[in-house]
Formats: sequence, C-alpha cells, structure tokens
Amino acid sequence: MESLEALVAHIQGLSGSPEEVAHLHSLLKQADFDSLRAHAATLVPFLAQLSPETHSLGYLYLLEACATSAANLTDFGGGDFLVTVADFLTKCSADQIRLAPDKFLNVCRVLKDQVMQLNMPIRGIAPLRAAVRKIQASPEQLTPVHGDYLLLCLLAKQYKAGLSVLEDDIFDVDQPKDLFLYCYYGGMIYIGLKKFPKALELLHNAVTAPMSSLNAITVEAYKKYILVSLIQNGQVPSFPKYTSATAQRNLKNQVQIYIDLSTSYANGRYTDLETFVHSNAAIFQSHNNLGLVKQVLSSMYKRNIQRLTQTYLTLSLEDIARSVQLDTPRDAEMHVLRMIEDGEIHATINQKDGMVSFHEDPEQYKSVDMVDHIDSSIQRLTALSKKLASIDGNMSCDPAYLMKTGRDRGRFDYDDFDTVPHKYF
Amino acid sequence: MDVEGEVPAAAAAAVANGLGSGGEEASPAPVSAEQLDVEAYAAQYSGRTRLARLLFVADRCGVEPMQLEALRMAYDEIKRGEDVQLHRDVAARIKGRLGPRYGLDQAWVDNVSRRADQRKEKLENELNGYRTNLIKESIRMGYNDIGDFFYAHGQLSDAFKSYIRTRDYCTTSKHIVQMCMNVILVSIELGQFAHVSNYVNKAEQTPDSLDPIIVAKLRAAAGLAYLETKKYKLAARKFVDTGIELGNNYSEVIAPQDVAVYGALCALASFDRSDLKSKVIDNINFRNFLELVPEVRELVNDFYASRYGSCLGHLEKLKPNLLLDIHLREHVETLYMDIRHKAIIQYTLPFISVDLNTMATAFKTSVSMLEKELAALITDNKIQARIDSHNKILYARHADQRNATFQRVLQTGNDFERDVKSMLLRANLLKYDYNQRNGPRKM
Amino acid sequence: MDLSAVQAALSDKSYSTIAPLCDDLLLQAASRGSTTDEWPYAVHLLSHLYVNDLNSARFFWKSLPQEVKDARPELAAVWRIGQCLWNREYAGVYTAAQGFEWGPELADFITAFLERYRQRIFQLLTKAYSTISIADVVHFMGMSEDDATNYAVQNGWSLDAATKMLTVNKPKAQTNQKLDASKLQRLTECVFHLEH
Repeated sequence: MESLEALVAHIQGLSGSPEEVAHLHSLLKQADFDSLRAHAATLVPFLAQLSPETHSLGYLYLLEACATSAANLTDFGGGDFLVTVADFLTKCSADQIRLAPDKFLNVCRVLKDQVMQLNMPIRGIAPLRAAVRKIQASPEQLTPVHGDYLLLCLLAKQYKAGLSVLEDDIFDVDQPKDLFLYCYYGGMIYIGLKKFPKALELLHNAVTAPMSSLNAITVEAYKKYILVSLIQNGQVPSFPKYTSATAQRNLKNQVQIYIDLSTSYANGRYTDLETFVHSNAAIFQSHNNLGLVKQVLSSMYKRNIQRLTQTYLTLSLEDIARSVQLDTPRDAEMHVLRMIEDGEIHATINQKDGMVSFHEDPEQYKSVDMVDHIDSSIQRLTALSKKLASIDGNMSCDPAYLMKTGRDRGRFDYDDFDTVPHKYF
Repeated sequence: MDVEGEVPAAAAAAVANGLGSGGEEASPAPVSAEQLDVEAYAAQYSGRTRLARLLFVADRCGVEPMQLEALRMAYDEIKRGEDVQLHRDVAARIKGRLGPRYGLDQAWVDNVSRRADQRKEKLENELNGYRTNLIKESIRMGYNDIGDFFYAHGQLSDAFKSYIRTRDYCTTSKHIVQMCMNVILVSIELGQFAHVSNYVNKAEQTPDSLDPIIVAKLRAAAGLAYLETKKYKLAARKFVDTGIELGNNYSEVIAPQDVAVYGALCALASFDRSDLKSKVIDNINFRNFLELVPEVRELVNDFYASRYGSCLGHLEKLKPNLLLDIHLREHVETLYMDIRHKAIIQYTLPFISVDLNTMATAFKTSVSMLEKELAALITDNKIQARIDSHNKILYARHADQRNATFQRVLQTGNDFERDVKSMLLRANLLKYDYNQRNGPRKM
Repeated sequence: MDLSAVQAALSDKSYSTIAPLCDDLLLQAASRGSTTDEWPYAVHLLSHLYVNDLNSARFFWKSLPQEVKDARPELAAVWRIGQCLWNREYAGVYTAAQGFEWGPELADFITAFLERYRQRIFQLLTKAYSTISIADVVHFMGMSEDDATNYAVQNGWSLDAATKMLTVNKPKAQTNQKLDASKLQRLTECVFHLEH
C-alpha cells in the first residue's frame, strides 16, 4: 500500500483534466481506506494540504474516510469537523464528486446525523442545500439528500429554506424511499407555510405512489392529506384509480378517526365538529396533527361563509352569524373582513345597514398580469407536453416494451406486427 | 317583476296567481276535509290486503273511534277466514273495548285449527301421491293448493315457498303467469319488493300475449315495487301506463284510486314539465284513473298551470289520509318535499328577478322560510339565482361565459400539469421497481 | 459575522430587502458554527413582519431558544406586535408598537413598519367596507377620532356627522391593459405547438 503522503501527492498532481481525474479515481479506488479509517485522526492534517475546490475527488475520499470512521467527530484535531464538511460541500467541484456519488452521500448523511445529534439542525441547512445542487445531474433528479435537507429545515423551523429544493419539479427517482420522504417532509413544509395546494400535490404523490406493501410514511402522509384536503377543498377525494391496490385496500383502516372527522365535516355543523375534535384531541395530539385539525375546524366557518356567497347577493351580518353558528354579528363581520383580507371572498360590508354584499370575482381576464399568468401556464404546459411526447417516443423505441406489447398483441398473427411501428408515427 | 324574453303561459299564470289575493282560487276543487271513511275505504279492497290496510289504519290514525271501527271490521272479516293468529292479534288489540262479542273466540280457534290440521294432512298426502306417480300437472296443482292453504292461514313464507315450487312443473305460459301472480301477491305482503320486480319481469317475458287485465295488474305491481324502493320516476311511469282494464280486478292488492294517487304524486315529484303534460295530463288512459279521485286530478292541473298555492293546498288536505295508506305513508314526506321544490324551481325559472314577498304569498309561507328553501335549492344547484336578502328579491344568475371559460381553462391546465407530473413520477418509480427486479442497480 | 449588508439596508431604509438577507446570513453563520449572540434578532423578526410574512416570523420566533428570548426585551416586544398581527388584533398592533421604548437601531424601522401597516389596513377598509363607523376606523387605524376622520375624508370618503358613519369611496382600480408584441409571438408559438 502506498503511503498517505504519496496518495496526497497524487491527489495534488492529478486533479486537473478529466483524464487526470479519472486516473486518480482508479488510484483512489485501489487505496486501502479501511485501514485509514482506523486512524482517522491522522488524516485531518492532510486535508489541510488539499483544496476542496480543486482537489475535490481526493478530498472527498479522505473526508469520507474520516466521516465514516468510528472516531468522535466533534473534537476532531482541534478544529470543527462540521465546518470542514460544510466548507467542502459548498466549494467542491460537482464534476469531480459525481464520480463517487456514494462517498458524497455518505458525507452528507454524516453531516445530517451530526447536526441532529448536536441538536443544531440549522447548521446543516446551507451545506446540504449546496450538496443537493452538486450531486444532482439535473434539477429534475431526486437525491437522498433532498429528504435529509427538508428534515433539517423542518427541525430548524427554516421552512422557507425548504422551498429552494421544493420548487423544482422532480421526475427522476431512484429509490422509492427518497420519494416518500421528500413528499412527506415537503408536504409538511408547505403546510407550515400554508401553501395547501402544493402540500396536497406532494402528499397525494406519497399516497398514490406504486407500492407493494403499506409503509408508515404513506399512512402519516394520508392523515395529513385528509386534513389538508378538508382545509383546502372541504372534502376528501376518493383514491384515483391508479392508486396501488395496497393503499386502496389498507390505508383507510389505518386512519379511521380521520375518516370520521371528514364525515363530521361533511355535515357542515360547526358545533358537531367542535365536539368531535375536543373529544378526540388527545389522539390527534399524539399524531402531532392537533394544530392541523384545529385549522380544519376553523376552516368550516370560512367554507360556510363561502357557501353563502354562492346563494346570496346580500345578507345581514346577523343572518350570517346565525347560519354559520357564530355568536354575534360582530364575530361574523370580523370573519368576513378576514376573508376579504385573505382574498377568499369578494364582498363589502355595509355597517350602516348591518349587511354584507357578495360580489362575483372581479377578475376580467384582460389585464397584463393575467395575460402573463396565462402565458406562463401555456409555456409550462407546452414544455410538459413536449416532454411527454419525447418519453412516449423513447418508450415506443424501447426493445423491452416492443417485445412485451408485440408478444401480448398477437403471437400468432404476423399482420399485427406490421402495424405496431406505424402506430407511433 | 321583470319578465325575461318569451313568457310561457305558466309564468303568466304564476304572476296572476302570485298577485291575486290568497283567498280565491280559479277553480276550487271538492276536497274532502273530513276524516277517512273507513268502511268505504275498506270496500275498495278484498282478501288479506283489506285486513292489512284496516289494521294499518287502526295503528296509525290515532283517533279511537276510527281505530275501533277499523278493528271491528277486521275482526268480522277474519272470522270469515281461517287465520287464527290474526284473530288472536286483533282480539288482543281490541282489548274488550267492543264488548264481549269481539273477544277471543277460543272455540272458533280450536275448530279452525283442527280443520286446518286435517286439511293440511290431506293436501300433503295427495301431493306425495302425485310425486310418486310423477304426474307433473297434478304436482303443480298440489303445490298450488298447499300454497293457497298456507296463504289463507297467514303462513306467508311457507306459501311463498310452495308457490315457487310450482315453477318446475309449469308447462304453459298460463301456468307461469299464475305462478308469478301468486308469488307477487305474497311478496307484496311480505314486503319483498325485489321479488315483485323479478316476477313481474318473468311474467312479462312469457311468449304468449297476455290478457290486458294481467298486463294492467303487472304494471301496477311493478309500480308498487318501484315506489317502495324509492324509484319514484320509474314508479310513475308504471302507474301512468297501467291500463284501465285493471278496474276492481286487483282489489286483493291495489284499488284503481291508488293507481291515480300514487301515479300522480310520483309524476309530480319526478317528471319534467313536458313529461307531465304528455304522460299524465294528455294520457287518456290515465285520465280515467284520475277521474276517480277528482282532487288529485285538480292538483295535477294546478301544478301544470302554475297555480302552486292551490296545488299545495290540495296536497295539504290530502295528507292526513295519505299518511294512513299502507304503501304511501313512508314516502309522503319525500314526495311532498320533491313536489314543493319542483314548484319553487318552476316558479322562478322564467324571471330575471322575483319579489320574495309575492312569491311567499303564492307558496303560502313566510319570506324567511321561503328564503331558507331557496337558499337550499341554490346550494344544490337546482336554481341558478342569488338572493338579495336586504331587499328580499331573488335575482337570476347569468354566468359570464367568457370569464367562466377562462377560469375553466386555467383550472384544466393546472389539473393537467399536476396530473401529468404525478404520472411521470409514478412511471419512473415503476421503472425503478422493474429494473430492481431485473438485475442489479446501475449507477 | 459580517452584518454590514443588513446595516446598509437599514440605513438605506430599504426594509423589504432585509428579510431574505437575514435569512441567508443566519444559515451561513450557522453552518460555520459561529456564535449568534450578536445576531440582530429584533431586526430579523421585524423584517418578516414588515413584509407581512407572518409564517416566517412565527417560525423564527419558535426556533429561538428561551434564553435568547428572555435576554432581549426588544425582541419580545417585536413579537408582541407579531402576535397581534397573527391573531388579527388590528388595534393591538398600534398599542404594541407604540408601547415600547425602541432602541436607535429599531426606532425608524418600527415607524416605517407602522406606516406601511396603516396603509395596508386603510386599503383593506377601502376594499371591505361600503359604510363604516368612525369608531371602527379609529379602532383599525390606531388614530384619534379627528385624525382618523381627516385621513378618511382626505382619501375621498364622505362623512355623515349625524350618524358618525363614513361612506367609503372606492377608487377605480387602474389595470394596465396594454400588450406588447412579444405576447403575439408567444401565442403563435403556442398555436404552432398545438398543430404539430
């Protein structure tokens, strides 16, 4: 085995062109890191001789050896090991580290574990945010870092920071578990920021993802999905037909109390729902969903008032209060005001007569802003449909697919084979 | 009141009615406000249904003289038959209130029971004989006789089974129809309306053309089955199609007056305006039935002519008696509610704006109650309008096509985007799963 | 810790840029393991309130250790404003903002926040009411009766002195309806896409 000094010399000498780096990679792969790991402490001084930016691949190998060693990382060689990792993740060259993704992911995981152990999740946010970008081949790729990053954002209550990875659309998924975590944590972040439609999208993906056996994440996601559906839409949609049979068969049994809640909600009576929530508060609390359940409860006022706008042009505050089970007309006024402030209804309050006038949506669909909005929607859909077409094209050229459809279609009928390719042009 | 565009005659009538003072109606109908005449009522029926109806009236009327009269008639009727259990029942219900003549007659019970045992034994022996000899027609008749015997003694499920058994021994269409009619009769009394529908279909499918009276009976029975299963529109279709040949021929099940009442109420609750005109009012056949119950005929005409106040008035007067009807009672509230809603919807249809005060007068209700009813109908999307509760005016709502289209397009776009993204994700997961099973992971 | 950018924004009075600035600096500082005793907590919290981002304000407050909250009365005072906003205690916002002796770093920021808040509330009242009592305008705007009446009248509302009611004047919203040519180009592309 080569000495550590020689290895560092290689790293320093072979971090330029892609060819050099490839050569270095094969050398590193031969090196015996298991024995290095045993003396992790001795590695640290060598790290100082390397630059995270230019010697990224070699740096990564050494760093990973330290990180995955059994040594106590907090009192590492006097310096702060976490700062070293953070520095590396922020500065390293994406091209180099992607040669050894597993090592890179290990480093990220160790960082996450460490900051959680220290109970300082906020320390990991900026480095992992950088790490996601470095390891991703494209913004559409989901990595194992995504879930950890979102978890740290949740724990540190840095919800807005979570948006930086959530705002990219994810398509490439390698591990189902990554997706479940991403959807669940992402859903929780959007819930915290009260962006309920986005939360529903993510939770929906967790609930309807293909699965052969029910996992705990899906069950928790479904609980939240029910609650957010009620807040946002006032009802819980039934499973779409592409939902796995596993979920369709078993999910509802796991969340009976939430189903009962939505049944009570559907009856539209605030006091009934309130009683239900109070008598089951302990259970919801034990699921960490009580806060959300309370939002469900207060959304009922909102929903009932919105319903009135569909029925009435004018209605007295007194009648509003009575019809949605609020105590006084003043309470009703404050609810209406709040909904106007939040853009949830179009109305004006006439204090002189104690009346509220409800209006139609004043949007005329002809302002420049609206045109921009429509335009951006068209752009997105065009891009999406192009993507679909290309995937469809790829699939129709996939030999495995053609074999399968060809076989299924007509084993005995050669005429059928002729027609297959034409279908896709 | 603004009237929009072309005004149907009905709407004009509604205006006239709405503006007219509530007291005078165009054609006051002879509605019997007095209590049900039990004797006349019972006279419309025969067989076990007469008993069942009398006992039903006794149970539900809540007026002792009427209750006792019904029980007395039932008692006398039962004594002419052979159902000892029913005799015990009725005697117990009378509780001596009609004097010693209407108590439990143990001697009669013993006598009837003894004879019944003998007769049952004889019938069973005969049947066994036929079965050993394998004479099809005799076996069929044997089962039929036993069925009749059970039916007369009130053992309905045994009767049902015996009648069903004749099925394997039917050789002609006539036999099948007879079997079906028997099964239908028993099933109605058992309250098993799925069987009723079933056997009506069977009878109607026999190859030979049926006697018009049979056809009419089957229609009426099918109507009953739909009514009891709350399929009011289908029930209405069957009742208005029931031939006048029915007459009093089906008195063991239904009287022609019933066909008129059931048919008219179901039709009002479920038919649209044009069906009401073509299938009910202009239906010469069904008009014959309606003639038997003039107040129902009047209320149908009132409804069609948009004299809703008068129509609802008639309905209210009929209600106490309808609640004593063995088949209708469970459905009266629903049917009445549906009819009222239809009336309200039709009233508002032609207008841009409606004064709620005027409308409340037309519907003989208060403005606040009317507002509630309208609000519920608007919520259910049955009326496209909104209420100006401040000025008590209902305004028709005209959706802005342009805005609605924009809204829908954007919504569809959003849904599409969301669904496609989610689909691509799932497709990728499946691909992963597939690769996972077909070889090691490549990275 | 380099807070010069925050200081610059404060002295420039470009208050709405402070929140993202602080958020990012805090994450960077945390990743370096720096101590945060010097962190301008009150400014950071107020910067969220200034842009009416109550969720971020709430999570920021919740994320702080108790000893940080206890040691900084000014921070706690900013949070009292935040609580009022969260609970929609419209009048409470003024009381909370005016009931504390703010340090020199925060005083101007608070004044700017209040001004902005008052404008937002006035816009809300304009949108939500057709008639409103003077007493309620006083309540919502945190002003004396005379000031509130004057403010409203200056904005075109009319006063019925007998009933002490104000009738709201709703200015016609001006929306830009002019389109530029690039939109047409986009539309052409869209149609092209649909046809191919």
